Formats: sequence, structure tokens, C-alpha cells
Amino acid sequence: MLLIKDEYPKLLFREDGKRLDGRDKLELRPIKMEVGVIKNADGSAYIEWGNNKIFAAVYGPREVHPHHLAKPDRGALRVFYRMATFSVFDRKRPAPGRREKEISMIIGDCLEPVLFLELYPGTSFEIFIEVVDADGGTRCASTTVAALALADAGIPMRSLVTAVAVGKIDDEIVVDLSGIEDKAGQADMPLAVSWFNNQISLLQFDGNVSIEEFEKFLEHAKDAAQKIYEIQLAALKNKYISIQNNVEKDVEKENKEVEIK
Amino acid sequence: MMDVKRVISTIERNYIKNNLKKEERVDGRGLWDYRKFKVFPDIISSAEGSADVSLGETRIITGLKYEIGEPFPDNPNEGVCTVMAELLPLASPLFERGPPDEQSIELARVVDRGIRHADCVQTKKLCIRENKLAYILFVDMYVINYGGNMIDCGTVSVLTTLISSHIPEGKWSEGNGLEWTGKYLTGQNIVNELPLVTTYAKIDNVIFLDPNLVEELVSDGRMSISCTSDKITSIQKSGTATFSLDEIKMLCRKSLEIGQKVRSELNLWQYKKIIE
Repeated sequence: MLLIKDEYPKLLFREDGKRLDGRDKLELRPIKMEVGVIKNADGSAYIEWGNNKIFAAVYGPREVHPHHLAKPDRGALRVFYRMATFSVFDRKRPAPGRREKEISMIIGDCLEPVLFLELYPGTSFEIFIEVVDADGGTRCASTTVAALALADAGIPMRSLVTAVAVGKIDDEIVVDLSGIEDKAGQADMPLAVSWFNNQISLLQFDGNVSIEEFEKFLEHAKDAAQKIYEIQLAALKNKYISIQNNVEKDVEKENKEVEIK
Repeated sequence: MMDVKRVISTIERNYIKNNLKKEERVDGRGLWDYRKFKVFPDIISSAEGSADVSLGETRIITGLKYEIGEPFPDNPNEGVCTVMAELLPLASPLFERGPPDEQSIELARVVDRGIRHADCVQTKKLCIRENKLAYILFVDMYVINYGGNMIDCGTVSVLTTLISSHIPEGKWSEGNGLEWTGKYLTGQNIVNELPLVTTYAKIDNVIFLDPNLVEELVSDGRMSISCTSDKITSIQKSGTATFSLDEIKMLCRKSLEIGQKVRSELNLWQYKKIIE
């Protein structure tokens, strides 16, 4: 194929010591989250994390299709992580690939411990995640937004889950790798924290680091996850604040109408 | 608004039908009114063109990617533009996972045919070397929320995507082969006419524009008519409803009129990509 090549720069730090997008080593990209964006779904959420744009929708508890996947003693959680054809540099083929299936599985495994699936035997919860724009760290952003969609659906949860990536580029440890840093860097570690027990429920690592460096990775990841968790909580609260404001407006309106009469 | 899951009750069905006979609709619109369009162009940084378009509750995100390939042998000096639609299972409990079903193929085909016969995509400008190299454009629609009438929403989404797109310009020279000039193909180099599709639904003997979700599910059938400013370019009848000749003539005239109105209201050319 004769396309323009997707090229990586030689250096991943600028002369002033900042990263290519102007961030400090431990700085996150701008993150924006919103819940209730898909009206038809039981719960939904949208995240903009740097250039990543991801929708998540939750349906359930509902009937299991195909029926043999139903579990007699507990609900089944199924996650479908998919990328849009135009979300990446080279057009992705429309059919789901091996990468998407693997990520779907690890996100499912990461979210299952926070749910009370034993209360819903014979039913299924389905989480659909659609990445419409991707720029590094989509599995972290997807996990974060999926947890938010579950909460929006009102499904009982032990806590939220927050994911973030830590990596090594040009021999420096950095938090929240962008697409270029992920491809041209030396190491990448996506990780998710489930807050009810403060433990790690998603962990992958690819790269080449010493044990001391790896321990630092974990420390930085926990700190970064804490910051993202605050944004998650704010997004959930915002929904109820806007509902409350609408109700207050309606009440005011009614009061005025009564006065006029 | 009614909560649509899988089945619509007979009471709801009758309520909608009886109201339509009195020329009233469940959301308060007149028979020939559109819901509100919301258009956001060029929102995907990885795509060469994109749009996020809502029509009422229906929301479709479209993106454009390109490849360089061989032109088809029957059109050796033309590029290719293909339209695909994905009815994401996150958009509605009515959509299922898996390979494209009839509904998503119909959506993609009707939108594709609407623009294909209208001198919309400038395929002749998308050929780099006769018989050998041409742009192949992939315009992919993703339905994010299904609230009825995906065809009209999808058409506006696809047109906005094409208008806002910016495709790297390649030139062929005998010595060096394919070279990228560093410039971009935008606006009129990609699109000319803007054909709009208007979709009508029929319940018993009542015909109305832009069915919303419940109306679409209750309706007997639909008619989608694609028009440029003065010509009809494609028609699709779907569902089990039957239409009389007079009704079809009336709808074609209505489409020209409504299409023109929507075209000037949306003013899609304002979203043309300008690259400094």
C-alpha cells in the first residue's frame, strides 16, 4: 500500500525537558467524562482522554443470547471492545480482530470483581465499548469509561475501577503514554485499580525495565489513578446535580404560576 | 417519550395511529416537519474527515479513511467511494452483534446510492494515474443512538464528512512514481452536488416525514427519496406498505421542496476544511 508513512520522531522529549505534547513526565492528558450520553442504553458514558474518544453502553440484567452462555448460579458479564475503522492511522478492517477480543476479555475480568453477579443468576450484563478515535491508552480509557457506564446503569457495585498506563520513554518514567510514546517508547504498563480493596485488577506489561524501575511504575500508577478517580466521581455527581437543578427550576416555575393565579 | 425496548403495546400502537389520523404526532410535530439536526464536523483526529450528526435522538458518527488502489476496469480514470454502516449494539437493544445485517446494509446502500447518482463525489478528480492508481475512499457510518430515520441522519453525516475532509494530495510522475505534494484535497475537489434524502413513513393511509423511533417501529413502510436541488437521484421503498401513483408523485415534489429548505438551513458548505 502506498500511503504516507506514520513516522515516529527520534526524541520523545523536547529541548525544555517536556514531552512532545508539552506535558511534564507525570502529567496526565486532559480528561473529560460524561454519563447518560446514549438514551437507549440502561447506562452509558463517554470519555475524551487526550485524543481518545470512547463511548460505553451497558445493557442488563437481561436475557442471555445465545442461551447456552447463561450461568445457573450467577450473571454473565460480557464486554465487547471495538474500534471504529477510522479511529486509527491505517484504516482498521471492520470485523473484530484478535487484539479487540483480548482487550474485551481483560476488561471483563477487571470489572467482574466489583459487581455482585451472584445476585443475578441466569442473566447477562453486556458492556459495549466503541473507540471512535484512538491515540494511545485506549484500554485504560475503555476500562475507566466502562466502570462509569455500569454505575450510570444503577447496577450495584463494590466500587468504581480506574485504569491508567505508566511507561518508559527515552529512559525516563512517564505517566499516561500518548500514541507516539506508546509505539516509540521502551515500556508500557496499563494497570487498573479497584477502589473497594485498593488492589490491582488489570495489569499488563511490555518492555524492558529493572526491578527498581518497575516498583516506581506501580507507585506512579496509583497516584495517577487517584486523580482520574476524582474526575470519574465528579462526572457521576454532575448528572445528579443537573437533574436536581432541573427539578428546582420546575418547582420555581410552578410556584410562580400559582402566584399569578 | 415512550420507552422502547422490544415490543410496542397495542394501546401505544393505536394511540399513535389515531393521533396521526388527526394529523397529530406523539412529539408534537406537524406531518411535514423534521426533528432538529445537530451537526459537528471534523471531530475525529485520526480520520481524514468526520462528522457527528444528530437528528432528534438518532446520532451517527461518520469517518473517512482513504487508501491508494487500482481503479475498477470499467471506470479506469475514476476513484472509488464506498459507504459502510455499522449498527452498533450499544445504540439500541434492537441491534445485535455480528456481521452487518439487512438493516445496516440497507442503510449503507440507500445512502450510497443517494450520493452515487448525483454528481456528489468527484471520482474523476480522485484518479492519480489512469488504470493504475486512484483514491479509494471508505466512508463508514457508526450509529451511536437509534431514534428512528437513520437514512436521513446518515446522509447528512456522510455529506458533512466529505465536505470537511482533507486528503493528502498525490501526483504521479514517470521518473519518481507517486509523490505526495504536501497539499490536501478538500471541499470542491472531493464533492460537488449535495443530494439530500428525505424519508417518509406510512401508517394506514397517513404519510408523514421523518419518523421517530416509535413511529418507525409502528409504521407499515417507508419511502426514501434522494434529491439534488432540481433532480431526483434515487428512491427506496421499504416495508410492507403500498403507495399509490398520486402519493409517489406528491412525495417526489415534497422531497424537492423540503430538500431545498433543509439544504439552505444546514448550509453544509460552511464546514469545508480550510488548511493554512
